Amino acid sequence: MTTRNDPIKHFFIWPALIIVLVISIFPLVYSLTTSFMSMRLVPPMPARFVGFGNYADLLQNPRFWHVAGTTTLIAFISVGLQYVIGLSVALALNSRVPGEGIFRVSFLLPMLVAPVAVALIARQVLNPTMGPLNELMSALGFPNLPFLTQTSWALGSIIAVEVWQWTPFVILMLLAGLQTLPDDVYEAAALENATPWQQFRDITFPMLLPISVAVVFIRLIESYKIIDTVFVMTGGGPGISTETLTLFAYQEGFKKFNLGYTSALSFLFLIVITVIGLVYLAILKPYLEKHK
Amino acid sequence: MRKLLLTSASLGVLAMASTGTALACDPDYSGVELTATTQTGPYIASALQLAAKGWEEKTCGKVKVVEFPWSELYPKIVTSLTSGEDAFDVIAFAPAWAPDFTDFLSEMPADMQKGADWEDIAPVYREQLMVWNGKILSQTMDGDAHTYSYRIDLFENADNQKAFKDKYGYDLAPPKTWKQYLDIAEYFNQPTNNLWGTAEAFRRGGQQFWFLFSHVAGYTSHPDNPGGMFFDPDTMDAQVNNPGWVRGLEEYIRASKLAPPNALNFSFGEVNAAFAGGQVAESIGWGDTGVIGADPKQSKVAGSVGSAPLPGSDEIWNYKTKKWDKFDHVVQTSFMAFGGWQAAVPVSSTKQEAAWNYIQYLSSPAVSGQAAITGGTGVNPYRISHTTNLDLWSKIFSEREAKEYLGAQKEAVTAKNIALDMRLPGYFSYTEVLEIELSKALAGEVTPQQALDSVADQWNKLTDEFGRDKQLAAYRASMGLPQK
Repeated sequence: MTTRNDPIKHFFIWPALIIVLVISIFPLVYSLTTSFMSMRLVPPMPARFVGFGNYADLLQNPRFWHVAGTTTLIAFISVGLQYVIGLSVALALNSRVPGEGIFRVSFLLPMLVAPVAVALIARQVLNPTMGPLNELMSALGFPNLPFLTQTSWALGSIIAVEVWQWTPFVILMLLAGLQTLPDDVYEAAALENATPWQQFRDITFPMLLPISVAVVFIRLIESYKIIDTVFVMTGGGPGISTETLTLFAYQEGFKKFNLGYTSALSFLFLIVITVIGLVYLAILKPYLEKHK
Repeated sequence: MRKLLLTSASLGVLAMASTGTALACDPDYSGVELTATTQTGPYIASALQLAAKGWEEKTCGKVKVVEFPWSELYPKIVTSLTSGEDAFDVIAFAPAWAPDFTDFLSEMPADMQKGADWEDIAPVYREQLMVWNGKILSQTMDGDAHTYSYRIDLFENADNQKAFKDKYGYDLAPPKTWKQYLDIAEYFNQPTNNLWGTAEAFRRGGQQFWFLFSHVAGYTSHPDNPGGMFFDPDTMDAQVNNPGWVRGLEEYIRASKLAPPNALNFSFGEVNAAFAGGQVAESIGWGDTGVIGADPKQSKVAGSVGSAPLPGSDEIWNYKTKKWDKFDHVVQTSFMAFGGWQAAVPVSSTKQEAAWNYIQYLSSPAVSGQAAITGGTGVNPYRISHTTNLDLWSKIFSEREAKEYLGAQKEAVTAKNIALDMRLPGYFSYTEVLEIELSKALAGEVTPQQALDSVADQWNKLTDEFGRDKQLAAYRASMGLPQK
């Protein structure tokens, strides 16, 4: 017990703490400071303080609201589908359906591939003249579909690729959750003649809720950061119809080198994510409390 | 005596060795290490590395090539230049960045600006793209102009020739005008035969705007009003929504309808794939199309790759009189798309003499000629000798292909009416606006006039934001016009 109050602990703890704080806090503070400046590398212009000017410009820029809407659309639809498909597959795997052994080995593959590679594969699969999908359509007498060049099809294609790549992650997490559920609850339910649907609705789903909330939250945040898939598949086009927040930030930061504006955009992005996270958790809090 | 003999022999060996060193190191840059920077290879970086090997053997110096991803290259160079840091002795950069670099670049040594090797550089580079306010501050190390490619086998097919003449009333041949270009595309647009009319880049972020510029140059690059294609060189008002631009954009959109499905997602890479894959009858683009098309390993149309200069027009918009000027002949306008990578020496370099010597070696007819025919270097012809040495090109082309290819390349850089690409501070801000509106017009969301009106409005705002006088001075310098 005496060693706990030994002042030597400060000698070991504080340097590490300070280093961590400096490394993690400094970039944030620097970026926040930059967001209040007009700072352009191209053409080089002297930095000047503009207060909330960059934020006001962004909030008045229709492109910002458009990309925020597009990102939200992609994130919510793709994560919703990932959860529904992921839960169905996890339930099937947990029930030991035939062939689940092979599936367990192979279903992880998509999430192990780099998103850029996945997007390149998707771009080739969706190629109108050399891609297998449109070749099949042609063989069946259907017209070629503008998968990547018409807004609705392009958004659908991006969502499909997101679902294909990240559903395995949801399956993995939910399957782990399912396998920790106690058997005795189900045995009691069986004694009470509860139907499988009743067991799912009143036992499985509520008990799985904490992990479901966490998985959806993680995927939602990750989906909001989507850039590589969109960059490779559509480049944000046609026009800016598939451009996402991160791609917009990339264009401003790395093509136009408008650093102040990009920093403000990053912080707005952070605020958007935080607000969505807080609202999401606030909505689910009563349910989580109820099933604690 | 023995000692004397030994001493004499040793001295003799030393003398021979020193003579040998002198012969090997010419000029002698032993102990000098140059740092050259460019984008991540193979394109351009491999050309620098190939030349570095030869230069090191010749001069006993060393060259370290430092590569940065494309997105990182500009900030790395600009920060080193503005800070005055001696980070790079040679920089190889995109010509569009020149306006931001020229204040920090050393002038090319006078002895490099004369002689046969100097005269051999195509005039458009030597007299315009390497020059900034009367000073030669960089050396072109890659030629970039758009040319036209077509399928010889399809064009010389008797059935096609007859059917085409019956339908359009003139002979099927490489087009002289943009209207003919579209007629040909329309004729060969036969999806049921897995053949489409043309291929161009239409993808946002996929070099699309250079292809539009090629169309537009034919209608707006007036021989009497040089430098007036993008902006009014007197006021810096955007010209991007004048009737010449609108016509160019309308035809560019028409070309997208005569291209393979999903062509709206084509970058230049897909254009080459479509042409080499035998999917299209014609295309426009950089010289790579011909080289890839002629390579049997990559192409289904090897042996049938024809080349010609870009089409032109007998009507050109006069931005001063605001009228179409009619010519009694077709004015063939060449467009220097991108303009070719430049190599330069920063004033902050402490090894300027050696650095310029390396650039001289890199761009010498022999070394650059070899780079031009080596796949993956990204070097296209920029010297007259690159386009006249048939032996050099016979390694990759048939005789006819080589003749047409070199003829087209030569005409592209020696044409009477050459339109220079836009080079302005804040280049990406201008082109991004254009790309977005262009994509909307291609998708049919807005009309060409609406798209270009929006671009003009945003370009004018950008010009005001960056400083109209500063931008005007840079624009005039980039177009080879004297300062006002």
